[in-house]
Amino acid sequence: MNVASLLVELVLMPLVAFVVGLAMVLMMRRIAARLQRRVGPPFFQPLFDIVKLYGKHTQTSHGLVHDLGIVMAVGGYIAAETMLPVPGMTGIADKGGLVVLAYVMMVPSLGLALGVGQCANPNGSIGISRALTAMLAYDVPFIIVIFGVAFHFGSSNLITIAAAQQAAGIAGWGVSQMPLLALAGLFALHGMLGKQPFEIYVAPAEIATGPMVEMSGKHMGGLFVMQCFQLYTAAVLYVTLFLGGGENWLSFLAKSFAVLAVPVSLAYLFPRYRTEDLVRLMWKWPTMIGLLGLAFLMH
Amino acid sequence: MTSLSDIPVIQTPPEAPARGGNPLANVFDDFIRYCRSRSLFMLHYCTGCGAIELPPAMTSRFDMERIGIQPMVTPRQADILLVTGYVSVKTLKRIILTYEQMASPKYVIGICSCTVNGGMYWQSYATAKKLNDYLPVDLYIAGCMPRPEAVIEGLKALRDNIEAGTSDNWKDYYQRYDHYLGNQQRLFGADWQTPTEVIAEAKHYGLFGPDTLGEHTRRLEDHRKPLEPLRMTLNAGRLEHME
Ligand code: SF4
Repeated sequence: MNVASLLVELVLMPLVAFVVGLAMVLMMRRIAARLQRRVGPPFFQPLFDIVKLYGKHTQTSHGLVHDLGIVMAVGGYIAAETMLPVPGMTGIADKGGLVVLAYVMMVPSLGLALGVGQCANPNGSIGISRALTAMLAYDVPFIIVIFGVAFHFGSSNLITIAAAQQAAGIAGWGVSQMPLLALAGLFALHGMLGKQPFEIYVAPAEIATGPMVEMSGKHMGGLFVMQCFQLYTAAVLYVTLFLGGGENWLSFLAKSFAVLAVPVSLAYLFPRYRTEDLVRLMWKWPTMIGLLGLAFLMH
Repeated sequence: MTSLSDIPVIQTPPEAPARGGNPLANVFDDFIRYCRSRSLFMLHYCTGCGAIELPPAMTSRFDMERIGIQPMVTPRQADILLVTGYVSVKTLKRIILTYEQMASPKYVIGICSCTVNGGMYWQSYATAKKLNDYLPVDLYIAGCMPRPEAVIEGLKALRDNIEAGTSDNWKDYYQRYDHYLGNQQRLFGADWQTPTEVIAEAKHYGLFGPDTLGEHTRRLEDHRKPLEPLRMTLNAGRLEHME
């Protein structure tokens, strides 16, 4: 691959991710609205929100680290997008692989923690400590799942994993080969999205949206962009690991949206867990299911 | 004070015409203004009884989200400050603090007759009567209390005003800060100060007007105490106790 086409892919992949992510945010909000028997937001609402936030006249920044934290939060996901193969584009996926991706996906939370730290708002600190604890909780099943998939396909390269599944057909998909790991992965994915019932770190009525409490204007806009990337990354990673990746854009997008619709539809049906209950739940069920899945794989 | 005609109507000049006759010169500004009118985050300051009409306006019956309005919980994130009903003197201080922390462009909506003229609390010594003496109100929704239909209508009117570029009262707060500060001082005493540097913000964002400074801001200079961060300490005694 020559440099020019690689550069084009590095620019295009995050852009595509952003546009798909906007649609995913819309889907999430529409599902929530339908479950609550509302009409829901108009089609371009996620875009309006982001443009509005970036178009604010005045801006409150609490210092350099506050600004850099947002850059890290968005940048971490932009880096992750270039390592997720999509139909027709692989970017630097063959250089990165699952392990680097798992690391890069932690950068946004750490960046947010840095940024929120400088705001010195107690609600923000409580929120971010809860968010990092939650990360500790869902990362254990997440790592087990990643390890299991890499073990099964004998590679941590996402392109190889997707290609192996596509060659073998539906019977060779991760979800048919490793149903227990797929289930644990769905659990971890739900935790990663930070949606109800795992959104104690946001808790709007209690700690005033936690990490987001001091974010205004462009900072908040950055976080809205981050949310688009977050939904996209989680869904596409799951599709690549368990649902055969993308042969073409149509089936790829259909699978990604379907994966995301599961946790999002479940989300609005349950009240939230407390942090310690969340850790207990994550370390018990998905971890146990994941370990069981691993045992079957290795047997 | 009791006559409607005393309430100042702020005339803002329309947006600057297209530069150089290029019809596309303002496309970007228009787009941003359109997005601004279609996406409004609302901070509801619900201490008055009018708040009870907001849940139906927000939830499945009338669903604000379909016109792009979402509740938000902190002033930093919000565009609309919704004051729902009577404002006591003590509450007003908090409302002003909240308002000054919001990022511009910001809009204030007064719901209920009590925010228009004091309503049934007219004779109370403890309530502020006219909200727009203290804050630049963009829209009043009158009624005791207004029904959700009226609230939604009001919000749609605000949306149309923003899209037309006529809802610019937040600039008025910077440009006539002396006027608002004077009214605030009349109520709270001469040593009233907020942590937000409104005058410095006005200078920084080019919103400085001839009436930004005046006799009341001079009084502010005299009384102002520099804000100091609270000293952070761990309570040693309690730590020992915990060990
Ligand atoms: S106008 Fe009526 S309903 Fe509204 S705050 Fe005043 S007394 Fe309450």
